[in-house]
Amino acid sequence: MDRTRKGFWSARRRALKLIGAAGALSLGTLLPLHGALAQGAGMPQEDEKIADTMKRLFGNRSVQEAGERLKLDAPMIAENGAVVPLKIDAELPMTKESYVKNIYVIADKNRRPMNARFALTPDAGKASVATNIRLAATSDVRVIAEMSDGALYGTKREVKVTVGGCGG
Amino acid sequence: MSVGQVRIRVPEKAKPGEVVTVRVLVTHPMETLEFKGGKPVVKNYSYIHRIEATYNGRKVFEAETTQAVSQNPLLAFPIKVSEPGTVRVTFHDTDGKTYTGQADIKF
Repeated sequence: MDRTRKGFWSARRRALKLIGAAGALSLGTLLPLHGALAQGAGMPQEDEKIADTMKRLFGNRSVQEAGERLKLDAPMIAENGAVVPLKIDAELPMTKESYVKNIYVIADKNRRPMNARFALTPDAGKASVATNIRLAATSDVRVIAEMSDGALYGTKREVKVTVGGCGG
Repeated sequence: MSVGQVRIRVPEKAKPGEVVTVRVLVTHPMETLEFKGGKPVVKNYSYIHRIEATYNGRKVFEAETTQAVSQNPLLAFPIKVSEPGTVRVTFHDTDGKTYTGQADIKF
């Protein structure tokens, strides 16, 4: 009687172990399989420091503080660095003679800081764009508006990125 | 949702000379570069690198995007409309594929 009960429990334990092992195995096979062949398109570009990016994009032109003329709406704290909503509004002229030609979004601590460039024409009517960007870490997000005559207006905001969304 | 599905939203009615906001969303993974031991992982990854918008065939907006734009990119941009017409937005990815969406603006 006693022996049979022991036998039952140990058998049960063995069965549980088996189930556990099977579970681990199936997890292993579910892991994503990488290794598709690389093709020319979208090949990795080199990492870049923020100073080099600014130099590449703007040369030696200096960026003026935009103040009220350029508004950047971004969250103070982004729980998920993969989706950071940005809204950019420029109170700058949009006429045939003088208009916002480009709006650059630059995140200092990204691998390649240049995130996006939006090219506008006087037909846009106003310089206002919105998009979602990715941030690698807590860093300044700069928005720089380039006028048709080459003048640069910039503003920046710090966006805190919390890893794992656990606050702080 | 399948990759390359473009959803576009414009105001139902506009007045001549009004600045309307076009909101457009495309389903795309916008894959990022992965690193293993400091070396980039070799794989065939792709992202949207150019977005173009036309109104009645006239180019009104263009954007150059990188992998630092989120998955399923969402974009909003303005157009000043003086006549009814069609907005057409084209996304180009690094695979050489293009995805297009269009919407009509009525008066």
